[in-house]
Amino acid sequence: MLRPLAKTAHVLVVDDSPTMRRMIVTALRGLGSVKFSEAGSGLEALERMTLTPIDLMILDLNMPEMHGIEVLQFVRAHNTYSRLPVVVLTTRGDETSRSEASASGATDYMTKPFQAGELLQLVRNLLPENKES
Amino acid sequence: MSTPDSEAPETFGEQFLDDYFAECDEHIAAVRRHLLALDQQVGEGRIDNALLDELFRSFHTIKGISGMVGFREEEQLAHRIEDTLRAVRQGDLPLNMDSIDGLIESVALLDRRLSARRSKAPLPELPGEEPAAGLSTNSAAAAIGADPLLTFSIEFTPTLALAERGININSLRARMQEIGEILKSTPKVKGQGEISFQFQVRTHVDLMAVPEWNSHGLQTKPDTVVLPDIQRPAPKIASSNVVRVDLVRLDELIRMVGEMVTSRARMEDQVRQARKILPSVEWRTMFESTQTMARQLRDLRDGVMRVRMVQVGEIFDRMQFVVRDMARESGKRIIVNVVGQETEIDKFLIERLMDPLLHLVRNAVSHGLERPDERRSAGKSPEGRLTLRATTTGENVTIEIADDGRGIDLERVAERARAMGLLGPGTPMDNARLLEVICYAGLSTRAEADRESGRGVGMDVVKNTVEALTGTLTLSTERHKGSRFCIELPLTLAMADVLIVAVRGQTYAVPQSTVREVFEVDPSAVRAIEHNEIIAHRGGALPLFRLSEFFNLPGPKQSPNGRFHVFVTGTGTNALGIAVDRIVGQQEIVVRTIGDSLVQVPGIAGATDLGDEKVVLILDVPALRRSALHERMTSPGNQQ
Repeated sequence: MLRPLAKTAHVLVVDDSPTMRRMIVTALRGLGSVKFSEAGSGLEALERMTLTPIDLMILDLNMPEMHGIEVLQFVRAHNTYSRLPVVVLTTRGDETSRSEASASGATDYMTKPFQAGELLQLVRNLLPENKES
Repeated sequence: MSTPDSEAPETFGEQFLDDYFAECDEHIAAVRRHLLALDQQVGEGRIDNALLDELFRSFHTIKGISGMVGFREEEQLAHRIEDTLRAVRQGDLPLNMDSIDGLIESVALLDRRLSARRSKAPLPELPGEEPAAGLSTNSAAAAIGADPLLTFSIEFTPTLALAERGININSLRARMQEIGEILKSTPKVKGQGEISFQFQVRTHVDLMAVPEWNSHGLQTKPDTVVLPDIQRPAPKIASSNVVRVDLVRLDELIRMVGEMVTSRARMEDQVRQARKILPSVEWRTMFESTQTMARQLRDLRDGVMRVRMVQVGEIFDRMQFVVRDMARESGKRIIVNVVGQETEIDKFLIERLMDPLLHLVRNAVSHGLERPDERRSAGKSPEGRLTLRATTTGENVTIEIADDGRGIDLERVAERARAMGLLGPGTPMDNARLLEVICYAGLSTRAEADRESGRGVGMDVVKNTVEALTGTLTLSTERHKGSRFCIELPLTLAMADVLIVAVRGQTYAVPQSTVREVFEVDPSAVRAIEHNEIIAHRGGALPLFRLSEFFNLPGPKQSPNGRFHVFVTGTGTNALGIAVDRIVGQQEIVVRTIGDSLVQVPGIAGATDLGDEKVVLILDVPALRRSALHERMTSPGNQQ
C-alpha cells in the first residue's frame, strides 16, 4: 500500500493561496516520483490541463474569476476529463460547498485544515496505478 | 527526504510559518486598501461588489491557512469577518460607517495578533461577541457607472509553443488589465475537445488596430452586443507571477555582490600596476576588460537591489487609516492626497521608516491641521489637506509629509529654545534651526504633547532614525499656510558611492549622498569670527568644520602651499563646509556597520575595505553636522 508509484503521475494543485499550494505539495511528497503543477486560479488550471495531461486534480473552491465549482463542472462536461479524479478541498464550516461539490462530480473531498497523512492516503488511492490494489 | 507519514518534531503546519505570515501580510495590506476604497464608496453612496468579493476571498484564504498552521483563534476571527462580509454581500447587513469601523477594528486586531504570533509576544485578547451590526437592506444598485467604452471579444487558444514564449492565461490577463477591464472570462470547448478561453474586455484602446491582439493564439473582434449586466472586474494583481524570497537570503546575495565589487577594485589596482611590465596593447585590452566588468557588476548590483525594493504605497495606506481614525476622534475634516505610491524603496528602509512617518502624520493631524470652524474663519476650506508624496531622484528617494494647517509658531519655539539655552540670545530662528530645536529631546512640554502625537516616538527619534539611515530630514513651515517635512534617503544602504578623503595621512570615506559640492580653498580665504571659521562661498558665508580638529589628528598638512579641499553638506542656512586635506577620489563600497558599541566613535558610521585589504572608516556626516551646528547655535557668548 505504501510503495511508491511506478510511473510518474502528474498532479495539478489548484489554489489561490501560494502557501496552501506549498502545503499540499509538501503533504503529497510521500507519493514518490510524482510531478506537480500549480495553478493560482480556475482559468490557469484549465490552461495547464490543456497543455500537459494530468492524472489528478486537487481543487480549492473559493478562487477569483472562476469558482472551483465552475472548474469542476467544466471538467466534468469535457470528454477528455470527465473521469479525471478531482479532490475538492473545502474549508471548515462551509458545508454547503461540500454538498455542491459532490453534486458537481467531485471524486472525493477533504476539509481544510487537513492532516497531511490523510490527504496523502486519499490521493494515493485515487491515482490510476493504485486503483486495482 | 522525510515523508509526512513519519513522526516529525515540528507539526506539519509549523514548517510553513514564514510563508503563512508573508501571505497574511499581503492579504491584510490588500484588505486595508479595499476597506479604504469601500469607506469612500459608502460616503458616495455606491458600493462596488467586486471589492466585497476581494475582501471576502482574502479572509477566506487567511481562515484556510490559519487553520493549517494551527492558529485556531485567527481562523475564527477571519471566519467571523467572513460572515459579516457575507451578510453585507447578501444584503442582510447595511454597509455604513459603523460596519466599516467594525471591520477595520477586526482587521487591526487580526493584524496585532499575527504580529504577536510572529514575534512570539503575548497575544491580544479576542472579543467574545460577534461584530455588532444593525439590519437593513443593502441597495443592489451597486453596478459600476458604465461608460460605453469599446468592448471586444478575445479568444485565446493556449498551446505549448505559446506557453514556452511566456504567452499564457496569466500574461494575457495582465496585458488586458493594463489596457482596460476584463468583463467576462469563460473557458470553451471547441470541435475536437480543444479548450479555448473567451474574454470580454472593455477598453479605450481600439484593439483591432493593434496587430498583436490578432496573433499569438489570439482572435479579437469588436463586440457590438450591449451587456445586460456588468460583471465584476478582475482583480488587479496576478499574484502567481510573484516569488517570495527570504530577506536573509537577499542580504547574503548582496554581501556576495559586495565582495565581488571589492575584489574587482583590487584587480583593477593590480592591472594598473602591471602597466609597467606588460606591452601596452596587451595591457590596454586587459584594462578595458576590468572596465567592462565594472559596468556589468554595477548592473548586477542594481538588479539585486531592485529585488529588495517594495512600493511605498502600502505604508501610505496605513497612514490613511491613522488619519481617518484621528480625524473622526478630533472632529477634523481631512482629505489625504497620496502621490507616488508606486515609488520603490528598500524593504529594510521602509520598515525602519514606519514609526517616524507615523509620528509626522500624527503631528500634522493633531498640531498642524485646524478644526473646520477655525479653518473657515481663517479663510480656508473646512477640509484640511494632508499630502503624502514619494519621489525618486536617481540615487535618492524623497518622502514628503505636508499639511495646509496653521504652521509652526517660530517665535514661540524660539522663546522656549532660548529659555532652555538651545539657542543663543542673538541668534535668529529659521527653518533649519527650528528643526534642530524641535528635534531636541525633551523640548516639547507635557501640555503640548497630547495623546495622539505624544505616544511612541518623538521628533528626536524621527530625526535620529532618518540620519541613522544616512538620510536627511528637512522642514519648511509658514505661519497659517502649513508645514512640510521632507525625508531624503539613499535608495539602499548596503552599498554606497563614496568620496575618499585624506586628512593628516588618514583616509576616510564620505557617502556621496550627503555631499552637495566639493571645492578647493586657499588658506587666505578663511575668516575667523569668534570661535568659528567661515569662508565666502556662493555669495554667502559657509561655516567651516575641520575634520583634523574634530578627530584630534596630529601631524603636518599634506599640501605644501596650504591649500585644502572642502566638501559641502546641507543646504541654505544649514550648509556646512567640512575641511579635509585632499579629496583622493571616488569609489563604490560595501558598508559594514561597526556593531560593537565599545568601539563606536562619534563621527564614524561604519567601515569598509577599498580592495587593498586595509580598513577605511566611513564618516557619519549627520553626526558631524550635529556637532558643528550645536557649537554654532550656542556660540555667541558661549565657549565650546
